[in-house]
Amino acid sequence: MAENVGFYTDTTVCIGCKACQVACHQWNDLPSPDGKTRPLPVLSGDSYDNTLALSATNWRHVKFIEQFSADANRGQARWLMMSDVCKHCVNAPCLEVCPTGALLRTEFDTVYINEPACNGCRDCIAACPFGVIHMSPVKNVAQKCTFCYDRLKQGLTPACAQACPTQSIRFGPINQLRKQARDRVEQLHQQGEAGAYLYGEDNKILGGLNAFYLLVDKPEVYGLPSDPKLPSRSVPFSSFWGIFAAMLTALGALFAFRERTAQPAAPGREVRS
Amino acid sequence: MNEFVADPGWGWWIIGYFFLGGIAAGAYFLATLIDLLGSSEDRPLARIGYVIALPLIVICGVFLTLDLHRPERFWHMLFKSEVVHDALTQGWPTTGAGWRTMAGAPLLKYWSPMSMGSWALTFFGLCAALSLVGSQWPGGKIERILRLSWFGKLIAVLGCVSGFFVAAYTGALLSATNQPIWSDTVWIAPVFLTSAASTGIAAMLLLMHRRKIAQGSLERLEKADIWVLALELLFFVLFLASIGAWLLPVLRSPHGLVLIVGTLLLGLLAPLAVHLRLGLIGRWETVAAVLVLVGGFMLRYGILTTPPAMLAHHSMTLAGFGPEDGRPRGGGAGADPANHPAGVKPPSKIDGTR
Repeated sequence: MAENVGFYTDTTVCIGCKACQVACHQWNDLPSPDGKTRPLPVLSGDSYDNTLALSATNWRHVKFIEQFSADANRGQARWLMMSDVCKHCVNAPCLEVCPTGALLRTEFDTVYINEPACNGCRDCIAACPFGVIHMSPVKNVAQKCTFCYDRLKQGLTPACAQACPTQSIRFGPINQLRKQARDRVEQLHQQGEAGAYLYGEDNKILGGLNAFYLLVDKPEVYGLPSDPKLPSRSVPFSSFWGIFAAMLTALGALFAFRERTAQPAAPGREVRS
Repeated sequence: MNEFVADPGWGWWIIGYFFLGGIAAGAYFLATLIDLLGSSEDRPLARIGYVIALPLIVICGVFLTLDLHRPERFWHMLFKSEVVHDALTQGWPTTGAGWRTMAGAPLLKYWSPMSMGSWALTFFGLCAALSLVGSQWPGGKIERILRLSWFGKLIAVLGCVSGFFVAAYTGALLSATNQPIWSDTVWIAPVFLTSAASTGIAAMLLLMHRRKIAQGSLERLEKADIWVLALELLFFVLFLASIGAWLLPVLRSPHGLVLIVGTLLLGLLAPLAVHLRLGLIGRWETVAAVLVLVGGFMLRYGILTTPPAMLAHHSMTLAGFGPEDGRPRGGGAGADPANHPAGVKPPSKIDGTR
């Protein structure tokens, strides 16, 4: 069995160069957003970020978070940058709900969409707590980061990690990455960055994230949920109350229609003729 | 509360399916209950339920297929496509090897409401068709076989259960996501189920005008309607109470207006008042039935469109495997060990397949 692999993204060394995003685009032949060539870049006006979010055409997305204090001199100021991607969860919500079996767990423990099987029901989009999966306007199937499954099969590093000039995105066997990440947090704490911590490194979030992060602010600041959940968690409760409601409904119908109540209308009661 | 999700884009086709599927399921399970446990006087009423259920569930199938981005792959909901292709390659249906492979094709994930719902809908459609055929010629041989015999009763029981399932699973499906509001409550399933019953009864009341139905049947149907509307009211209030921090933002939005005015006032309180105060006088009962249908539609519209609208107002950037790791390989809940790669060959630039 192949090794479990992952991404460890150290956001403190990300410089926002977007090399990962471009490399992903190039390797995977991703089209522009509407599947056509645009004559001019579309400027969002949101920091240095013109693609704004993960999408069917951006399987990597570099977030720019500007944190400036309100005083005139902007006494407190910092930039947070983070290269976002599919988390390849150990317990993946998308994989759990997919009714067609198009979502697969690969031999590398990554999560992969087998496009020929996908029929575009979008249940995976509703289930993903990170907003990772989107519909391709070109192929009309759900798409997301494949963890460069084709490159992994050839023993190559995924394109994004290969292109990252600062080693903010590290690729490797997941247990090695976890050790590296914990050492780095320790180092940052010693240097005075007390807020540094790992998101998704342990198994608390969806059994662990195979693409986990070193962050220095709350997850929500980076657009990450603190407590994402497995969709199936609600099914027993929904089912219980659904069955309860069904029994009450059936009971009411039975009382109304059971044979011995089939009597003539009560005298004085006006009924439609 | 998770605001970082993407919108699945379930729009009008799905709203239409939830609404019409609810009516079909509600009318059908009431019809089977009447058939199984009611008096012979009420049988014509049951027939109306069957007449409503089948066409609507067929339309629902069309809606669901059209909603898919790849409608031609609708059957992937029930069968593993790669296994079916393998079986065809092996000569199915004329070879034993093809049949053996095909035996592994059905795909049912009991923990995924959409997977379960696809099968339930198929089965429900089959039961609805048999029940309709069985009820069309009273006193005939077909009615004896498909409605009055043990086989007919079996169809009614299984169809009744699948009808209840179809009515409620859509709510469980919405809760089994990470979308705001939907995933914050488990009360959508009972609300949808009771709404299916009330809209099913409303559709039956409207269709009764064209048929000879005993006055006693009408009275009993009204009694059942009052009970079901009261239940729906209870579960709807519980649903609103359960969405917690989302309640105020929802109520302040146009979608709150849809749920409060459309569903609560027009679809629940107004018809209840009509039934309790005016009974079956004149055309009021028709008005009540129409209001229930309007309320049922508003309920589906409101619940399906509110989370995307809430998300649209939100800006996202405001603010090993050694035993010592304690982190198992994927394989628990959500990992779906049945979904293994099975020879999946990713298209790649390396070997020129992309």
